[in-house]
Amino acid sequence: MKKVLAILLAVILVTVSFAACGKGGGASGGKTGTKTGVQADEINVCLASEPDTIDPALNSAVDGATLIAHLFSGLAKWHQTDDGSLELVADAATELTEGVVNPDGTVTYTYTLRDGLTWSDGQPLTAGDFIFAWNRAASPELAADYGYMFEVVDGYEDMQENGAESMNISAPDDKTITVTLITDVPYWNELLAFPAYFPVREDVVADEKWATEPDTYVSNGPYTLTAWTHNSVITLEKNENYYDADSILMPKINFYLSDDANNMLANFKNGDWQLIDDIPTNEIQTLKADYPDEFKVTGQIGTYYVCWNINEEILPSDSGLTGVEAEAAREEIRSAIGLLFDRNYIVDEVAQGGQVPASSFVAMGLTDADNSEFYKNAGHNADFDGYYDVSADALQSNYDSAIETLKKYYKYDDASQKFTNFPAVTYLYNTSEGHKAIAEYLQSALAAIGITMNLENQEWNTFLNTRKDGNFTVARNGWLADYNDPISFLDMWTSGSGNNDVQFGKGDNASLKHYNLDLTEYGFADVNVKDGTWAETYDVLISKIKTCTDQVLRYKLMHLAEDMLMQTGCLCPLYFYTDLYMIDDSVDGFFSNPLGFKYFMYTTVID
Amino acid sequence: MNAKNLVYILKRLGLALLTVWVVITVTFFVMHAVPGGPFLSEKAISASAVKALEAKYGMDKPLFVQYLTYLKDVVTKLDFGPSLKQRGRMVIDVIADGMRTSAKLGVVAAVLALAVGVVLGAFAALRRNKLADKIIMVITTAFVSMPSFIMGALLLILFVIKLRLLPGNGAAEGGLVLPIITLSLYPMAYITRLTRSSMLDVLGQDYIRTARAKGVAKRKIIFGHAMKNSLIPVITYFGPMLAYIVTGSIVVEQIFAVPGIGRAFVSSIINRDYPMIMGTTIMLAILIVVMNLVSDVLYKVVDPRIKLD
Repeated sequence: MKKVLAILLAVILVTVSFAACGKGGGASGGKTGTKTGVQADEINVCLASEPDTIDPALNSAVDGATLIAHLFSGLAKWHQTDDGSLELVADAATELTEGVVNPDGTVTYTYTLRDGLTWSDGQPLTAGDFIFAWNRAASPELAADYGYMFEVVDGYEDMQENGAESMNISAPDDKTITVTLITDVPYWNELLAFPAYFPVREDVVADEKWATEPDTYVSNGPYTLTAWTHNSVITLEKNENYYDADSILMPKINFYLSDDANNMLANFKNGDWQLIDDIPTNEIQTLKADYPDEFKVTGQIGTYYVCWNINEEILPSDSGLTGVEAEAAREEIRSAIGLLFDRNYIVDEVAQGGQVPASSFVAMGLTDADNSEFYKNAGHNADFDGYYDVSADALQSNYDSAIETLKKYYKYDDASQKFTNFPAVTYLYNTSEGHKAIAEYLQSALAAIGITMNLENQEWNTFLNTRKDGNFTVARNGWLADYNDPISFLDMWTSGSGNNDVQFGKGDNASLKHYNLDLTEYGFADVNVKDGTWAETYDVLISKIKTCTDQVLRYKLMHLAEDMLMQTGCLCPLYFYTDLYMIDDSVDGFFSNPLGFKYFMYTTVID
Repeated sequence: MNAKNLVYILKRLGLALLTVWVVITVTFFVMHAVPGGPFLSEKAISASAVKALEAKYGMDKPLFVQYLTYLKDVVTKLDFGPSLKQRGRMVIDVIADGMRTSAKLGVVAAVLALAVGVVLGAFAALRRNKLADKIIMVITTAFVSMPSFIMGALLLILFVIKLRLLPGNGAAEGGLVLPIITLSLYPMAYITRLTRSSMLDVLGQDYIRTARAKGVAKRKIIFGHAMKNSLIPVITYFGPMLAYIVTGSIVVEQIFAVPGIGRAFVSSIINRDYPMIMGTTIMLAILIVVMNLVSDVLYKVVDPRIKLD
């Protein structure tokens, strides 16, 4: 009897599993029914879970920025040209003017607003709304994550430190905006298209809850917020008051909110959602094969890297080296270890998301002075891009040179081909299958030469805290740019920066006189530091970059800053990030920008 | 209800309040002891901005003062404070939003589990060792041994992706059907098995034999005499079932993107959204304490032999 029961039980389980796991959908991905050729009047998409906020000033997330880009209209916006490339064009402003350089080196821009601009509640939009919004976003009282996006504006520092009421911005009349920048920055127009720079109205935001319900949400963009079921769905409908409403093709967008990639995939597969922005890591290979036209990989300006804590000792206890000599040795060692990893293997076999092996810290996608890729000019090597060769051919030579370097400092056992006295280190990462897989690869690569690297994972928030405080030896790290300029990868490493996880210029490193900075050949006769601290060299270099008005020189200095960073060996770039998403092939006219904001206003969906 | 019972219930209510207070206190201090904080993010905000935020939310005061303030606000004003992560939203609103959906999900799942479970269990007992009984037992064994995240995933693939009968998103029309089924299958199977064995037990009792010997109609024996007593173990299971549904809903809400309290609870911890952690924890603590009390009182109603003390 028991046997019969057992068999019956097994049959039921197997049937259920088969019914569920069978490959019924097939390679087509299976759309529901046949297309009727009718244009749908709404699109359903899912980017992420409930956004923390959709207040343009407070938002710091990519999904929130996408929503805000549909709801608000700043002075500039991203636009896709007919050939598919992206450009920045005037939006609320009549044109994106050139700045006027003042005698003191500051630059003043003057913008004129279009005629007849209104808010979604019908009230007229004025230049003063922009001024109010910018001062609010930059104010220390609001303490917005992206307040520092205004640091290029003259008077920002004054506002932070001395409590000034306003930056150097004004509205001489209701249609004119003038803004003065500390120095001309090439990414200024891009900032104008960034949510933090979008206008908000004083009486609207006076209610602290304004951005949480449709009733109180007043915007000025192509769409209005018409419904928000929290944690569930946000609905935007076309704003007929928008000045360019005629060119907006999609009448209604439903942003579904889910934080589960598997759930998103289920809703995509059954045709309910037309775009999903998160994909289960272990499904990537299958989806690439099953949905070749709908699985998309686009570049994203970001770098996945390993960072060392500069203050952690990795020399053998009997090295006899101290101070500057010891740091010089550690620089060599860390750089050598960086050469041991096969980045092509990490990208192709471990991460599997179309990422690009990285040979520099400043990410792919950031442009140089001549509009070429910044990373291709990094490292100053004729034969390859970046600071080391990441091609498969160079794997052996990289490995050999790393071993030679390490032999200078550690005992090497020729018989086993392993180092015997490298102190064990611990690699810290935040709990995630993807990070774990990469950590395990790094661990095995080091184990092969006798270096013991233990793995420790921590929950996200704890991890951030530990890493920020420098309580680690080696840690997983990643950085995404906020705008297309290499400085967004460089100013984070100044000694006072809150993102300086390596601890440059902090702790023991603060007093280490090991760094050099000679800018005399660039026309800075007063900057020639030999054997200075990190603060006396790198921090100075960054401040020179931030006030530099000569664009060509500015980029040269940024390459110099990256050289300094890479010289320390503390940053070990692994790959440049990509943005993976799935979009139904019935959708036309979709585009996303380099920061990952997604634009649905010009889409059409054929049912 | 006599005076003795009333005293018992009041005593239990007092104990419940004490339990909730302990939960609040322990959660408050443990939560602050865990490393990390609500204003940490991959891109660090400036130290002055963190200070401004801490001052805004009263987090610049000593921890014990914060604790007293919190307790006072909750007790005197039912004020659970603002969410630190979802700027502009109050914790009470987020909980109310989530509870609307979660309560629907939980109550329907519980009722479904009870109704189907009791009927199937009684049916199986009456058909003891016949084919129907065996089929029911096999299926319930399968359901009892399958965790909800596997059951949920299977149902999702089957009904959402393959058959396209139901939506896979809790917000859509009919979107709660699959989460309810997923959540109810385990308690349903458990109740079926419980009812079956307790029914068999009761049917073997002397008073049933007496009734049968006296020629009482079979239907009357089952529904009038056996059923009520065979439900006592089921009621005992009421408390654990509720706990299962509350914790199980956290997983199920995730799988089906249901906008319930479970997701708010989990994300609040990841985000170190202190007021939200407190709010959701207090909510769940009250729920479980109250439901346990209710199930204890129900024993008494079903079986007068049980003494409340």
